[in-house]
Amino acid sequence: MVQINLPKNSEVTKGKYYQDKTGSKNIRKVNVYRWDPSTEENPRLDTYEVDMDNCPSKVLDILNKIKNEIDPTLAYRRSCAHGVCGSCAMNMGGKNGLACTTPHAEIDGDIDIYPLPHLKVKRDLIGDLDGLYKQYQSIEPWLKNNSTKETTEITQSKEERAKLDGAYECIMCACCSTSCPSYWWNGDKYLGPAVLLQAYRWIIDSRDEEREIRLKKVADELKLYRCHTILNCTNACPKGLNPAKAIAELKKMIATANV
Amino acid sequence: MENKRPLSPHIQIYRWHISSLVSISHRITGIINIVGITLICIWVSLLVLGDANYSLINQFLNSVLGKFFVIGLVWSFSFQMLSEIRHLLMDMGYGFELQTTRITGLMVIFGSFLLTILIYLIGKNFI
Repeated sequence: MVQINLPKNSEVTKGKYYQDKTGSKNIRKVNVYRWDPSTEENPRLDTYEVDMDNCPSKVLDILNKIKNEIDPTLAYRRSCAHGVCGSCAMNMGGKNGLACTTPHAEIDGDIDIYPLPHLKVKRDLIGDLDGLYKQYQSIEPWLKNNSTKETTEITQSKEERAKLDGAYECIMCACCSTSCPSYWWNGDKYLGPAVLLQAYRWIIDSRDEEREIRLKKVADELKLYRCHTILNCTNACPKGLNPAKAIAELKKMIATANV
Repeated sequence: MENKRPLSPHIQIYRWHISSLVSISHRITGIINIVGITLICIWVSLLVLGDANYSLINQFLNSVLGKFFVIGLVWSFSFQMLSEIRHLLMDMGYGFELQTTRITGLMVIFGSFLLTILIYLIGKNFI
């Protein structure tokens, strides 16, 4: 159901203010969403004054700086710092993206950092993605080919392989799914852009033999048709992929009975 | 533990894009159109009951509020039409590139105002 307001226990309160201690003239205010599971308190928005003269260019660098130099209690996921692992997906300046590839210069004014939208927060900037992973599992994202022997190579033409471009590069960071209003309010039934892009990736794979079964599975009313082409997903994707177009292609395949 | 976890902010913090703005407006204008067209149908039906009703509604439509209502309905109808064409093209699989969605979105927004002015001028016999 569409629920505009946050539940009582999720309302964000004003948090602590960390004044700059370096005496730098080039200061930016960074507002970070904080929630500590060991207390009964509501989430809060802490403000940090960060010295930008000694800070590299990406939002993740700001977070590292805060954690290393100002407040070590801040929790967030990060790993590769090169836009490959998808760990540091979060909402920065009102838009989802990877903290390691988002330049802070692109954000005007104070920098607001929140966890990915509409998730159960585990702590600070860490959201619970279990639901999404379960949905990913439900589309059975692996090659299904029964007619070829295990020892035989399954060949694919260059054209057939080219169809997978724009679908296989997904790193499952969940930026797209958590940017989608339809997924916010129907996340229990609707698969969401990330999982549907992967469903599409296996449906168009020429080596896969369960195309029809896969298509029938996603054709279920809510799993696919909750997409209303809002296009927040394509706007959010840090890898420049287009989940909305993949969903449109799936709808087209089903509508034209090209099963 | 599970229930204690807060829900992270969503619509409160997410920035609007042209495409999301057009999408939500499409739905809102859809509802306005249904209500508006129903009212027009009721108005037409009331004519059967005598000309007293006609003059009453005529009076309303010529008031400031009535004019706002009519122009608003013309706009929401124009918006819905243009946005629907955009959706039709998308259903055929066209126009999903980010730049294209921005351009078509802006075309819908500005086009709806242009169409409103055009319909107004035609209605006033200026064209």
